[in-house]
Amino acid sequence: MGDLDGAIAPDRSRAAGRLDSQARWRIGTIVVAAVVLVVAGLFASRSQGQRAMAFVDLDGSVTMPPALLVDTDGERFDLRTETAGRMTLLFFGYLSCPDACPIQMAVLGAAFGDLPSDVRDRYTVVFVTTDPARDSPEDLRTYLDRFDQSFVGLTGSSDELRDAQFAAGVPAATANEPDADGNYLVGHATQVLLFDPDGVARRAYGLGVRQADWVADLKTLAREVAP
Amino acid sequence: MRWWCSQTMEPWSWTPQPYVGVWAVVIALASLRWRALRRRRAATGGIDVTTRQRWWFWLALMALWVASDWPVGALGAGYLASVHMSQYLIYTLVAAPLFVLAAPEWWVRQVLARRRLYRVVAWVSRPLYAVIIANGTLLATHTPWTVDTLRGSQVGSFLLDAIWLVTGIAMWLPVISPLQEHRVASVPLRSAYLFGAAGLTAMVPGGFLTFSRTPLYSSYEIAPRVGLSAIDDQQLAGALMKVGAVPVIWLVIAVIWVRWANAERDGDLRPGSPQRPTSTALERDAG
Repeated sequence: MGDLDGAIAPDRSRAAGRLDSQARWRIGTIVVAAVVLVVAGLFASRSQGQRAMAFVDLDGSVTMPPALLVDTDGERFDLRTETAGRMTLLFFGYLSCPDACPIQMAVLGAAFGDLPSDVRDRYTVVFVTTDPARDSPEDLRTYLDRFDQSFVGLTGSSDELRDAQFAAGVPAATANEPDADGNYLVGHATQVLLFDPDGVARRAYGLGVRQADWVADLKTLAREVAP
Repeated sequence: MRWWCSQTMEPWSWTPQPYVGVWAVVIALASLRWRALRRRRAATGGIDVTTRQRWWFWLALMALWVASDWPVGALGAGYLASVHMSQYLIYTLVAAPLFVLAAPEWWVRQVLARRRLYRVVAWVSRPLYAVIIANGTLLATHTPWTVDTLRGSQVGSFLLDAIWLVTGIAMWLPVISPLQEHRVASVPLRSAYLFGAAGLTAMVPGGFLTFSRTPLYSSYEIAPRVGLSAIDDQQLAGALMKVGAVPVIWLVIAVIWVRWANAERDGDLRPGSPQRPTSTALERDAG
């Protein structure tokens, strides 16, 4: 095995490149600078490169549900009347949701924080619970305040909430069987519906829309729709 | 059962999950070492591995395991950019140098001779190329496109982790290669190299991550949240990228300089070496 140790003699000088040292450094510097520029470009252009999915245009056949629900102050909230004249983003979810709801709300909340005030004032975000048995108005308020204090939270009876979902054109949520601890998941639609000031559903944003895409779309829509 | 950590979009759970690929890699590396030592013993009667090298190997393996397996691996692959960045730092600044330190010279020469890899490793060990490889890998593997593409699948996620480990090893060769001829001879140059290789361009992606107003990686933005908001998590990742390597780099540089100073001193005191006149001797001579 000792011969193996000596099998390879140190040969840095032999292996040294054919270019002189100065040329190597020059080439190296150019390569590093090029890589830095390319990567900086990739970072900077991210928001342009991933704007494919964002939303689905709706045909205008769905209007704001005429639902009379309860807001987080315990007051009656007429969904159609209260949102008339404003752009409205409507989402059906529940507070114990482990994935879709916190993701949608977190991204939407971050996007709202990034919008100019004149743009964000044009929108109302409404979160309607699909789990009225567990989601009290107070809990709804606490939950939504984590994302944005302007978000509206609504609850109601199971029948009212089911009717509201049907009227909004999404399937009604269904609760799974509770586990041994009494916890259960609720299957529900994960898209955010965009209603124009006339109460007509224009777009459905699926799970996966990013903050930069929300900001860009909400700004564009605010410009397109006259105040 | 999954074999490697990748993005799943499932809610995070603190219930441990098995990742058999991680265990298989760890066991395979331990087995390779065991086999090499057994062959060495059969050939020479000894294993020629120092106690330190033993420690370095097991610590390297532990670092690799911690960075790849649940919970760090799972969190880094699909939930938190800051943990993803921590993984990168563990792979390149902990596991990689420990693996290099753990490798006995006889084994490295044996492997390089058998695989005809010596010239490749000699080329990679040149400081200029090693700097380019280390920084190029750092930049390329942290672009949103790369992270979002590779973290989505187990194969891609494994590939990303493997690239970090291999290029991390390449980065450390000019400093601590078991083959003396591959190390940068000059101590100041070695320190400068280390700073250039591990600390120079991290500022670029680190700056983008820290100062971007929106999350750059969809893998971590559109993921079930684990404590931090997406933007806070990204800023933490950027801060880690910018300063995470600093303690390691400066610690190693300090060790290099202390050892150099000790070697110089020992050289001066060696029997037969020219002695510097002490002040006492000078006073005596003057008297």
